[in-house]
Amino acid sequence: MGFQILLHIGIVIILSPLLLGIIGKTKAFFAGRWGAPLLQPYYDIGKLLRKGNVYSTTTTWIFQAAPIVSLAAVLVSSILIPMGGLKAPFSFWGDIILFAGLYALARFFIIIAALDTGSSFEGMGASREAAFSCLAEIVLFLDFIILALLSKKLILSEMIMRNILSWELFGPVLLLVVASYFLVLLTENARIPIDDPATHLELTMIHEVMVLDHSGWDLAYILYGAAIKLFVLGALLVNILIPFHGLPAIVQFMVFWGGMIILAIGLGIVESCMARLRLNRVPQLLTGAFVLALVGLLIILVKGV
Amino acid sequence: MMDFFLYSLTILSVSGVLIILTTRFRKMSESIFLISLILGCGLGFISAVTILASRTPIDYRLNFRMPIGEFYIGVDPLSAFFLLVITILFFLAGLYGYSYLKDHGKKNLSVHYALYHLALISLMLVVTAQNAVLFLMAWEMVTVTSYFLIVFYDEREVTRKAGYLFLIAAHTGTFCLWVMFLLMARHTGAMNFDQMMLTPFPLPLAGLLFVLGVIGFGVKTGFIPLHIWLPHAHPAAPSHVSAVLSAVMIKMGVYGLMRIIFIIKDFPEWCAVTLLLIGMISGVGGVLYALGQHEIKKLLAYHSIENIGIITLGLGTGLWGQIYHNESVILVGYAGALLHVFNHAVFKGLLFLSAGSVIRSTHTGEIDHLGGLLKHLPWTGCLFLIGSLSICGLPLFNGFVSEWLVFRGLFEGMFQFKMNALIFNSLGIISLALIGGLAAACFAKAFGAIFLGNSRSVDFTHVKENSPIMCVSMFVLGGICLWIGFFPTQMVSFALGAASTISSAQISTTIEEAIIFPLLKVVLVLIILMTIAVVLILFKRIAMKFLPIENAPTWGCGYSLPTRRMQYTASSFAEPILRIFRNVLGFNVEGNKPKGYFPDEAKISSHVLEASEDILFRPIFKFIEFLSVKFKIIQYGYTQLYLLYIFIFLLVLLVWKMI
Amino acid sequence: MWLESALILIILFGIIILGNNRLSTMIQLLALQSLVLSITPLLIHPSIHAFTMTIVTIVLKVIVMPSLLFWAIRHVSIRREVQPLIGYGKTLLLGGFLMGVAFLISSKLDLPDKGMSNLLVPTAFSLVMIGFLLLVTRFKAITQVIGYLVMENGIFLFALLLLEKTPLLVEMGIFLDIFVGVLVMGIIINHINQEFGSASTVNLTNLRD
Repeated sequence: MGFQILLHIGIVIILSPLLLGIIGKTKAFFAGRWGAPLLQPYYDIGKLLRKGNVYSTTTTWIFQAAPIVSLAAVLVSSILIPMGGLKAPFSFWGDIILFAGLYALARFFIIIAALDTGSSFEGMGASREAAFSCLAEIVLFLDFIILALLSKKLILSEMIMRNILSWELFGPVLLLVVASYFLVLLTENARIPIDDPATHLELTMIHEVMVLDHSGWDLAYILYGAAIKLFVLGALLVNILIPFHGLPAIVQFMVFWGGMIILAIGLGIVESCMARLRLNRVPQLLTGAFVLALVGLLIILVKGV
Repeated sequence: MMDFFLYSLTILSVSGVLIILTTRFRKMSESIFLISLILGCGLGFISAVTILASRTPIDYRLNFRMPIGEFYIGVDPLSAFFLLVITILFFLAGLYGYSYLKDHGKKNLSVHYALYHLALISLMLVVTAQNAVLFLMAWEMVTVTSYFLIVFYDEREVTRKAGYLFLIAAHTGTFCLWVMFLLMARHTGAMNFDQMMLTPFPLPLAGLLFVLGVIGFGVKTGFIPLHIWLPHAHPAAPSHVSAVLSAVMIKMGVYGLMRIIFIIKDFPEWCAVTLLLIGMISGVGGVLYALGQHEIKKLLAYHSIENIGIITLGLGTGLWGQIYHNESVILVGYAGALLHVFNHAVFKGLLFLSAGSVIRSTHTGEIDHLGGLLKHLPWTGCLFLIGSLSICGLPLFNGFVSEWLVFRGLFEGMFQFKMNALIFNSLGIISLALIGGLAAACFAKAFGAIFLGNSRSVDFTHVKENSPIMCVSMFVLGGICLWIGFFPTQMVSFALGAASTISSAQISTTIEEAIIFPLLKVVLVLIILMTIAVVLILFKRIAMKFLPIENAPTWGCGYSLPTRRMQYTASSFAEPILRIFRNVLGFNVEGNKPKGYFPDEAKISSHVLEASEDILFRPIFKFIEFLSVKFKIIQYGYTQLYLLYIFIFLLVLLVWKMI
Repeated sequence: MWLESALILIILFGIIILGNNRLSTMIQLLALQSLVLSITPLLIHPSIHAFTMTIVTIVLKVIVMPSLLFWAIRHVSIRREVQPLIGYGKTLLLGGFLMGVAFLISSKLDLPDKGMSNLLVPTAFSLVMIGFLLLVTRFKAITQVIGYLVMENGIFLFALLLLEKTPLLVEMGIFLDIFVGVLVMGIIINHINQEFGSASTVNLTNLRD
């Protein structure tokens, strides 16, 4: 058990920044550039780890606690999901609520750390994050409801594992779930079209503006946390999409990691083709995601499970 | 164990009288208050815990006949669970209040203390009364004593108004309860609860009783739209009274509903639907209103409504399980509701007490005037943070455990039942998720604006932490939050015991294990979380030894002269969310924007419209006032005339009988 | 399976039309929706009858009508619906709610389903509701036409229930009606524009007295 957990966490720690690297490469390819090396996110984090910290005189211990709590919460959420041939080390009845709760915990601390600096820009980012994540959470739970109804289980790793039969019966529903979950993924990870981490105007940012004052190890923890969050939520999406489970471990392994790479490339493509939405359109997008999931639920309602 | 409970009642009532008698000797009356509080609450606590642990009810009848019923009290696990809440909260809040009121000077504190005891006794009687008349009398006593506790600052007009509003609202509710109990008594021919249970109720009657009960108990509990008194009364009272009001007094409605469910048992399906809908509306509505508040205690008061919503969701789930005879759903639903009653009492008590500490130190409760208090009030700040994390239902804290149970009940209800259950339970799950997200936003706002950043108005550097006694009460409450967050087994099994009482379902060990086992896994995951956090801290500590650390002002994004007035305020923090939900809420922003190159004056203010107060109740009250004015015609002020009225009324009654 | 996917696609296009404010995108989406719609007869009951219907639908609904609408917006040079009666987010939510109602109603109705798919009727209802919503909440005459066409698509789906019963001629008649309707609408839009200088139906309120 202990070994499994360590293996899981280790894989997540080692591989998650790679996803960001693939996204960056894809975007560079679409822009016709060669782009930064694939391992750039690792270099970034490594650079930050070699730097000292600057603390604002306004801040308190909350400011220093937030990166640790958020990274730990996001990291621990990874042990609830299976990855390829690896089973989830922890799976129990009702773990989806814990899964959502861990993300809420991480978010809460990042938000109050932003408020701790007393900067108006960071307050603005915190306020937006709080508003949008509320909406994203509803959509997430609606997706969970559908998955739970399809599997009659409340266990995350079994809700997302299913056999080919359910794709045949409920393919359209699952696609709706995937579509709405994808929008949640974009919102939670502050990707284009919800938020653009690359802009240079603090007024328009959400996630990046909240961590303006963090530096050195704190910032490294936060960036790592963001990478892991993308990785874990992405792994969940890939798991939903994989239609068959119970094949030999090696096949599952290849399918899963192939899926992750495709997801990263897909994210890169989405980010290359779209522009950031105006902020007041974001709730609209999430409402759209909500309606998508709602249609899925309605279909289940009519067809019966 | 019944003896302990009776001793507790006796000690409290005797000492109440003693406190009044020793009014002149302030020290003496204070020490009597403290000693009797410790003894009374301690004995009550012990009797509650033993009954919860053994899960066997005990009762006690006094041969002394009351006018209509008998003095019949009994403690079953359901009563014991509420007794636990009452004793813990009253003890800690009393301790805090003793210190809080210390330098209030001229007020006659003995009366306040005596009333505090009286409120405690009447609450204990409410949850243990096994006779309808006794129950109603205790209920009435709770109302009256709470009224006097609320109007402690009676020199302020706001307080007096809040008190009147509370009194009117509470009596409207009690009227419904009288009707309900009379109907029950007429149908069963008995006033004792145990005899009432023997007669089955036909479904239509059960439905009618349910409606009366929901209105009657709902007024006290604060279901939207019956909640109008709540946000006025909580801020008006002194903080320790607000704590017990919010933590204990409003839960009596929940207890009442559970008792009704316990007596009647068979309900039509729409009752469960109604409860779920009330839960959703109160939950989401409460938290949205809370987001729009600018005053800390008012914000907390609206959060009480939100949590009542969550409790009602659990209650509705349990009732649904009862209608469809599903043991697991019944137990999970009711246990979730009960545990949330306990948890809410603990963290809301904690929040009110720490808010009181802030108000006592800074003399203001306006969130937008505060800021940066974590540096000056470190303990209060940390405890407020613990309370906030718990109320948001975040893992590691107690709120998560009870919300987990309610979530689970809703999900399982969805698996088992039919179309309606599917629709309403999924709505319930979505609103619970929404409540969680909004509550997190609201408490990030409250904690961030009060304790973080810099002060937004005056300088608070002179502010000092309050007396240790106040801190101790808060520490104990914060400790309970963490204790349940990490060791949920004990309280969950207590709650399950009480839940099995409500439904009279035999609780089998397999079901109990199936409920508790995943919670232990949750705890394991949380322990891993803590381990990871410790490792991360260690890494950083070691690295920081070799790396430079600097201090500098917050970066102003290029603006060279940032002042503390430029910080984001609580109102602006909540604005985007309120804007998204503006159509549900009636959210108004007024003010004039800066114009031109050299704008002279600009201001902005936002407020949230209280729909049920402004749209529903004000017109009704206006109409009643109009009617009353019309009826004034028969008032002349002659005593003879009034006697004549009585005579006429008697005649009419006699004639009525003859026909 | 395929039929259901097609039906869900149709609903999705409806939802996206609801949440969109760019007229040209709306027309394109409408064309796409009609394209998927025109394939459904083949999926339900592959026959010559169905095939003819598919061809006719494609020609009319996917090619002719969208081009007509494109011509109209070019002519009056408007690009987006500026001020809907209620916001887009809320329209979407309302659309979701109405779809819920549609699904509920159709689960209670007893219709000759014949095992085609129990999604057919709900989808048809939903489309009618979405169309109505568009008609009610939008002011531009073009959006109104689009709403009307979405509604018509819903009715088309209803008609599929009776695919084998109805003679081809009747259907042709219906199509002709719609075609003429859209034509007339186009002309009206043009005239509103000439008269008032904009193509908003708000101006029609002036005709009240």
